[in-house]
Amino acid sequence: MPPGDFSSRIPLAIRRVGLVAALVLSGLAVSCRPAESDGRIQLSYWEKWTGAEAAAMQATVDAFNASQDRIRVNLVTTSQVDRKLLVATAGGDPPDVAGLWLASVASFADRGALLPLDDFMRADGVEPYVWLERYTPVYATMGQHGGRTFGLPTTGTAVALHWNKALFREVGLDPERPPRTLAELEEFSRRLTKRDPATGAITQMGFLPQEPPWFLWAQPLWFGGHYFDESGEIAIASDPQSVAGYEWLREQSREYGLADVQRFMSGFGPFASSQSPFFSGKVAMVFQGVWLNNFARQYAPALEYGVAPWPTVTGDPFALTEADMVVIPRGTKHPEASWEFVQYLASNNPLARTRAELQGIEIVCYLQEKTSPLRDWSPFFTEHHPHPLIAFFRELESSPGAVHAPASGVWQEYSRELATASERIRLLEATPERALGQVQARMTTAWSLHRTSLERQRRAADAENSSNEPTIQP
Amino acid sequence: MKSAARRRVLAGLGFTSPWIIGLATFTLYPVLASLYFSFCDYSILQQPVWIGLENYQRLAGDEVFWIALRNTAVYAALAVPLGVIASLGLALLLNCNVRGLPIFRTLFYLPSIVPVVASSMLWLWIFNGEYGLLNASLAPLFALWGGAPPAWLGDPAWAKPALVLMSLWGVGNSMVIYLAGLQDVPRELYESAELDGVGVWRRFWHVTLPMISPVVYFNFIMGFIGAMQIFTQAFILSAAANNGDGTLGSPARSTLFYTIHLYSTAFQDLRMGYASAMAWVFFLIIAGLTWAANAVAERRVHYSS
Amino acid sequence: MPKANPAARFAVYALLVGLGGLFGVPLLWLLVTSLKPVEQTMSNPPTWLPYAHYSEIGGKRVDVVLDARVTEPSVLVEDVATGRRDLRPVGSVAADNPTLRVVGMAEPGWWLVTERNPAAVGSRPIREVLPPEAIESRVQFRWQNYPEALAAMRGSPPDVPGVPPRKPNPEQDAGFPQFFLNTVIVCVLGVIGAVLSNALVAYGFARLRWPGRDVFFAITLATMMVPFPVLMVPLYGVFKNLGWIGTLLPLWAPAWFGGAFNIFLMRQFFRTIPEELSEAARIDGASEWRIFWTVILPLSKPVLAVVALFHFLFAWNDFLGPLLFLTRRQTYTLALALQQYQSQQGGVQWHYLMAASAVVILPVIVLFFLAQKTFVQGIATTGSKG
Repeated sequence: MPPGDFSSRIPLAIRRVGLVAALVLSGLAVSCRPAESDGRIQLSYWEKWTGAEAAAMQATVDAFNASQDRIRVNLVTTSQVDRKLLVATAGGDPPDVAGLWLASVASFADRGALLPLDDFMRADGVEPYVWLERYTPVYATMGQHGGRTFGLPTTGTAVALHWNKALFREVGLDPERPPRTLAELEEFSRRLTKRDPATGAITQMGFLPQEPPWFLWAQPLWFGGHYFDESGEIAIASDPQSVAGYEWLREQSREYGLADVQRFMSGFGPFASSQSPFFSGKVAMVFQGVWLNNFARQYAPALEYGVAPWPTVTGDPFALTEADMVVIPRGTKHPEASWEFVQYLASNNPLARTRAELQGIEIVCYLQEKTSPLRDWSPFFTEHHPHPLIAFFRELESSPGAVHAPASGVWQEYSRELATASERIRLLEATPERALGQVQARMTTAWSLHRTSLERQRRAADAENSSNEPTIQP
Repeated sequence: MKSAARRRVLAGLGFTSPWIIGLATFTLYPVLASLYFSFCDYSILQQPVWIGLENYQRLAGDEVFWIALRNTAVYAALAVPLGVIASLGLALLLNCNVRGLPIFRTLFYLPSIVPVVASSMLWLWIFNGEYGLLNASLAPLFALWGGAPPAWLGDPAWAKPALVLMSLWGVGNSMVIYLAGLQDVPRELYESAELDGVGVWRRFWHVTLPMISPVVYFNFIMGFIGAMQIFTQAFILSAAANNGDGTLGSPARSTLFYTIHLYSTAFQDLRMGYASAMAWVFFLIIAGLTWAANAVAERRVHYSS
Repeated sequence: MPKANPAARFAVYALLVGLGGLFGVPLLWLLVTSLKPVEQTMSNPPTWLPYAHYSEIGGKRVDVVLDARVTEPSVLVEDVATGRRDLRPVGSVAADNPTLRVVGMAEPGWWLVTERNPAAVGSRPIREVLPPEAIESRVQFRWQNYPEALAAMRGSPPDVPGVPPRKPNPEQDAGFPQFFLNTVIVCVLGVIGAVLSNALVAYGFARLRWPGRDVFFAITLATMMVPFPVLMVPLYGVFKNLGWIGTLLPLWAPAWFGGAFNIFLMRQFFRTIPEELSEAARIDGASEWRIFWTVILPLSKPVLAVVALFHFLFAWNDFLGPLLFLTRRQTYTLALALQQYQSQQGGVQWHYLMAASAVVILPVIVLFFLAQKTFVQGIATTGSKG
């Protein structure tokens, strides 16, 4: 019986009850999957983006399908891909390839939901560390966990400060001079914040840490702190920089008045719309990725903005990087074909001089207007990138300040705990000490349990079949 | 005779055979398996490993488990009594021999059959702090003493009341049950009460309420079981409130209800063993409280025949 | 109720009308929002009617969006390099500014307007300042929100002009028609199964006497106490082993094996049918199956209708089941599709979300008006028999 089969450890008596019924029912089971046959291996690829970004990936998939005649990849946009992917893999019906969030990769790997890619690399005669040298260093380590590779970046971005030049001009700030330090960010933010003289309601803000709310987990990194200590234990409450990062969050809420901010925020439209706060001029400075330009063109063509590194807190440069990760779920029926598609997404045509000559990763990165995680960019991609400031982002990603979220089997949970904690802190529901203390306590337990569980599973797998490849990463 | 008895058993089993299979496959087996899993470290992708009572011991010390339990208790404590009062109140109004009864009944009843997913979308919009209909209506009221209405789903203190408000919109179903109960109360009882010169309030307290107490009890229990298992509304509203960063129960865990926490533990973290232990604790809590309600009802509820 | 005095009657009606309004307004608001242009959904204070604004600009009639009301004497300036137009207070732009060109003047009370749908794709929309009298406003319901919202539920990006359409990809191409069909399949197959199986089982409990029956029935009632969350995890394993994950089967097939509450409901009803009818048929040599089929079922139409109706509602509204068991886009039901649409990356706009929600609600409302009596009687039965 394959590992993970749910009934294998259930006492026989219980199993019998189920088995009789199951036999009767399985007669009824019919697959409603349509038969698509053009003689090729059909791969299902789950994509988390929608709209123009999904169209960009679709174009890449089309190019792959056209580049060979044995494999056809079918792209499916899937919202909440992390939840769906785990449930589908557990149900024995995963897609063959999936685009996943960086934060999920290590957690999924530890749950045994992903295939390690190292064996494929070795089968191609390349040692993984050599294989990964094609990526800019910060991207090469993103899919690494426990000494193995579980995912590869398909599009890259550094997160940068974006500021609205028109709003700067309006309040007499130099529109070409972004804040460079935390103190400047605070000062600019004060000057850019406006209230309705009659009601006192906020009508515009300079900077709002929770807009967008995607990077609040990075508060410790920004302030020079750590999530784990040297011995690999959870360290957040005891880390002064991390605490300072969240203290700052609380100060922001206090300074502008929590109730006023809450009311102001509820008027924000969705990110991909003209009503989103940065596009509608409600918030003057935001931390956003390289993708913003693509959305700005669509939803705020009149917007005039600049990009700069995050204002420094520690005096050292800081560049948060993110990537979309491609993974192969365990349970795919076509691992080899899936790997071939993944390889396509990890390559480019280094000599491309026209749009039509772009290949692989550069198609999606070009169309999504992001940076390519590869070290080497083709001439066309470098010179004709639709983002006018792409060179700035490329430089930021290669800078010594470039960092990314830690790869840990509990990171998904850890970042969720941090998201909840930062919410409680900014809502003044709890002091940073208390909220982070609770994160610390919960995550210490979760982390030790996670390791115990991995150990248990490893022993169970060993006992089951010692010749089997262990399914879990220690 | 013997063969006749056997035939009767065969016929009985024959007619109930779908249910025998269904009960075994979709209820009994899962209940037993769930009990077994609750003593295991189990992730569905990997094999269950027996760990004894560890899951239950951990539950006792799990802060979020207690938060979820408290959230659920607070929600049920607000939603169930208010639901009973609201639906009984509406039924009493409709029972006043009013003209146009079908129109009003339809108006009150319709919201209760609106698919929860769709009504969640609607209330998401109504609760919007800035452009929502609710705050637009409340703003002048709050402005009287210089305040502003709450941000509802964005405010940990108001997110649960918001869900209660939404649940009150759906009381139409129990209202119809009350109405049927009220119409079954014999007219003579009212008439004799009126002859005795009993006032409206006392009539309600001494005639109506005892007569419909079984219906109140039924609605109370159904409302309680439903409120304890609140899922869809809270799932959708909290997922929408946080831009989809995967954190359920926002803001600040204020809408992290038991079933949401259970779902997230089982299907987001794949801790199926731990989730099964949570499920069993939940089962025991609901069964215990229902039993207690039953014990109270034995003494208080008036069954006419 | 005894006759009350006129004041009390007036109070009752006032309360009913007031509360009726409270109950009705949310659905009305949903409808109104679904028919607005996007910028009018987010207005403060909210408006109840959708408006369209037209103006004569450059000799042609243009559908415009009112961006902002001019509050102080202003000039409309154009960025020479980009063609971007914006309002600036009078005197804030130097006459010899090399990058900005003044193209218009505005008095307080005028409007800054933008063309809604530029004629050519990618062309910059017309932006002007206009006095209020140059703008013609009228109520106009945007019915096109509905097809647009439903089209947006489809996963595939729109075809790019000039690029040959790609091979069909059923999982990705699945859109509203597929979701609707799935929901109908789940509802119809579920309803048929629920009616047949529950009637059959209830007959066994209500009209047949056999040893073990009452114990079995007691167990049946007891299972009503089991909350779904207890079953959730192992059920997932059951469906996985049956190979049902990723198909619609977990949503309708279990209905074919009965459900405790419906068995109970039908049993109560069957017991009210006089035993003599069955006896007479037995004397005529009819089998139990024949009695069930030709005697009992025809007399039980009301309860069959109630079970059918409630199962339909349950299946149409079910969210947790699809959330847990459906993994493939082409199997989504409307409830799940609506939530996935709402939670997609980048968000969704209110007018579309309300339009999509209205479409999900509509069939239920139609059903209610078609089967109003069954609804009311059915609910009353479930209550009083409980």
